[in-house]
Amino acid sequence: MSMLELKGVTKNFGGIVACKDISLSVAPGQIAGLIGPNGAGKTTVFNLITGVYSPTAGSISFAGRDITAIRPDKVVTHGIARTFQNIRLFRNLTVLDNVRIAVDKEVDYALGEALVRSPRVKSREREICALAMEHLEEVGLADKAEVRADSLPYGLQRKLEIARALALRPRLLLLDEPAAGMNPEESLELAGLVRILHARHDLTILLIEHHMDVVMELCEKIFVLDFGVKLAEGTAEEIQTNPEVLRAYLGEGYKRVRSQ
Amino acid sequence: MFIQTLVTGLAIGGIYALMAVGYSLVFSILNFSNFAYGSIIMLGAYIGYYVLMHMGVPLALSVLISIVGAALLCFANERLAYSTLRKRNASSLYFMISAMGTSIFLENLVYATIGSRFYAFPEVLTQQNVSFGGVSLGLLDVFAIVFSAVAIYGLHYFLQNSKTGIAIRAASYDMQVCQLNGVNVNKVIGWVFLLAGALAGISGMFLGMKYMVYPTMGWITNKAYIAAVIGGLGSLPGAVVGGLILGVLETFVSAYVSSVVRDVFSFSLLVILLLVLPTGLFGKFLEEKV
Amino acid sequence: MLEYVSGIITFSLIYVIATVGLAVFTGFTGLFSLGHAAFFAIGAYTAGILTYFYDVNFWAALAAGVAVSSLVGVLIGYPTLRAKLRSDYFAIATLGFGEAVRVLLENLDITQGARGLPGIASETTLPIVIVFTVLVLWVARNFVHSRYGRAAIAVREDFVAAEMMGINLFQVRMRSLVFSAGCAGLAGGLFAHYVSFIQPGMFTAALSTQLTASVVAGGMGSITGPTVAAVLFVAVPEALRMASMWRLVAYGFLLVAIMVFRPQGLFGFREISWQSCVRCFRKKPAAAGGGAGQ
Repeated sequence: MSMLELKGVTKNFGGIVACKDISLSVAPGQIAGLIGPNGAGKTTVFNLITGVYSPTAGSISFAGRDITAIRPDKVVTHGIARTFQNIRLFRNLTVLDNVRIAVDKEVDYALGEALVRSPRVKSREREICALAMEHLEEVGLADKAEVRADSLPYGLQRKLEIARALALRPRLLLLDEPAAGMNPEESLELAGLVRILHARHDLTILLIEHHMDVVMELCEKIFVLDFGVKLAEGTAEEIQTNPEVLRAYLGEGYKRVRSQ
Repeated sequence: MFIQTLVTGLAIGGIYALMAVGYSLVFSILNFSNFAYGSIIMLGAYIGYYVLMHMGVPLALSVLISIVGAALLCFANERLAYSTLRKRNASSLYFMISAMGTSIFLENLVYATIGSRFYAFPEVLTQQNVSFGGVSLGLLDVFAIVFSAVAIYGLHYFLQNSKTGIAIRAASYDMQVCQLNGVNVNKVIGWVFLLAGALAGISGMFLGMKYMVYPTMGWITNKAYIAAVIGGLGSLPGAVVGGLILGVLETFVSAYVSSVVRDVFSFSLLVILLLVLPTGLFGKFLEEKV
Repeated sequence: MLEYVSGIITFSLIYVIATVGLAVFTGFTGLFSLGHAAFFAIGAYTAGILTYFYDVNFWAALAAGVAVSSLVGVLIGYPTLRAKLRSDYFAIATLGFGEAVRVLLENLDITQGARGLPGIASETTLPIVIVFTVLVLWVARNFVHSRYGRAAIAVREDFVAAEMMGINLFQVRMRSLVFSAGCAGLAGGLFAHYVSFIQPGMFTAALSTQLTASVVAGGMGSITGPTVAAVLFVAVPEALRMASMWRLVAYGFLLVAIMVFRPQGLFGFREISWQSCVRCFRKKPAAAGGGAGQ
């Protein structure tokens, strides 16, 4: 059985076809990659899975349940969390508060209790803080807890986004260019972190990435998109030797890099 | 009676359309509701009234002076109240507050300095009638329809054919890409506010002739916002159609039901529309970009 | 003299109650209301009519005022706050809402039109207002520092990311709107039973403006900042005996100037707390630069 399955998913924006008849399936526990040139429709696929857009045609299911055109705020209840290509942190809040907002969904107290700040609320609030700190420690941001999110360096902002997503305790994690803007060294370090988190939290991961070394290092299965169409899928080896992929995406440049 | 009501409605609708176009023009490019627009319209009317009544300037020329004056005020409004926010990439909430502040400032400044008196244009201009096949129409209404049509067509022609017009249209799609392609966004935005101000001058003159000139006359732009929502925020054809629809419907409501419920009606229309057709007739902004 | 001062304090605190409500709404969800005076008016008229015509107990009337304006908040919020609708729609709708309420107040029989309701029982006293102010401030603080408050802030900061955290935009916005409408209704009820005479002309856009100006000047995202601003905005013009239109000229100018030069408000985003006050007095220079820039 597959964890995430897209069947013939199509999305039109007015006259523009962003995704056309895309089918893909990610197995439980797998780390899968979604690659393709800019504008290939990768982020659109994420937006379709997370209900930010609803597909024009096709169906999406997660762990055997249909989640086509799901409301974005319901996505997390199914166990899906994501990060964003253009970093969407709560910029004016502290690092800790960013994660606390994610942890909040676990701890339930009613509005009435909150308004009078009952002892139960106080103890729950302490739990929330402790939990949030744990999540920060995992990505190595515990010492930055009181810093404003937008004053973090770029790489750490990406890590904070991952910590925030993990605080939702997802089964499927969607990472949208987690290594964007990082140098090769940093991006490999990030790949290591993803691997650790994957094992520790029993995650299924689908990631979009332009750093090929990260993708090849992490992904058991890779889907290649081009102009909104799925061009190929397979293991890193298969993708690297697929002539169509090479022509459309990796190009001569990639071969040159690899031969170095 | 029916035809007469319809034409009166179209005349009001024409003015609503003018205002809604000016408002939508700004919205389409800066993505916020320019609540200061009403006070620019009001000031346009005061300028026109002053030069006509106190400086003996002929009517056509006073309309022109009102247009130029309102255009410059609108331009100044952008440079003083919005441009810093633009450079800071502030959210639309901040723009709206700044716009509201401008509106409150200007309106009450007029109130405090010129006073709350209502000024009427001479009756020669406002009370003449013409007859068309048995229906008697106010000359002013006929002028309003013709002039609104001409102004809106002029704007349309400008946006379609001039270099600046094309830059404006491009910027309304994607400001950043436009900037990367070497368009001077500052200049484009300046033009947008000049054009919107010019429309404000025309609408101010017509509103002044029809309903008199007073500090809170700009409040009628509420109707322009509603008209713009009917047509779809940010869409210029939508603003025209929305303005005409609202003008006609309102006139029928005041003619056949009661003029007291007219404003409540427009508001209810807005609420109903938000429920059934939130993007308006020609809605441009369907989904937020992620 | 003492009476005059206590009058100013009472008025200030009534405005504080309404301002805190608006601060929770605009400051914490990033939505902008142009017709908050209408909620104030609904509270004032509901409570006023109940004690004036029906001899209802003051406290019950006050509660009814809160309930009715909260309910109207729900009715206004339902079509305008749904997800995906831009905040402009809400602002425009509140503009129309304010107008509609004014038209109704001027034309209904029960409100006695423009003549208003003279001779409402004078029940509101300074101690009552103080108690309510403290209560509202305490509840607002609890709200803001709970997961409900954080959800609202998340929506203000980035609603797309907030949705991915499982936050329902509509619920969050509605909750804040109802809270602020309720506060405005409470302030209105207290106001009606303090001045003993209400008429539609008291609840115009000028009142909405004063409330908004207090929130913006006090700092969006703060509770204490708007509280201080609300007191200043009642007391200072009163002390200067400023004509009401010049007050509005000043408010308008202040709104623009704050947006242009100091968007975090006069007191910064942060809360004014005992610690920061103490710090302020101990170490002058450090505190002066305390407000984090945008």
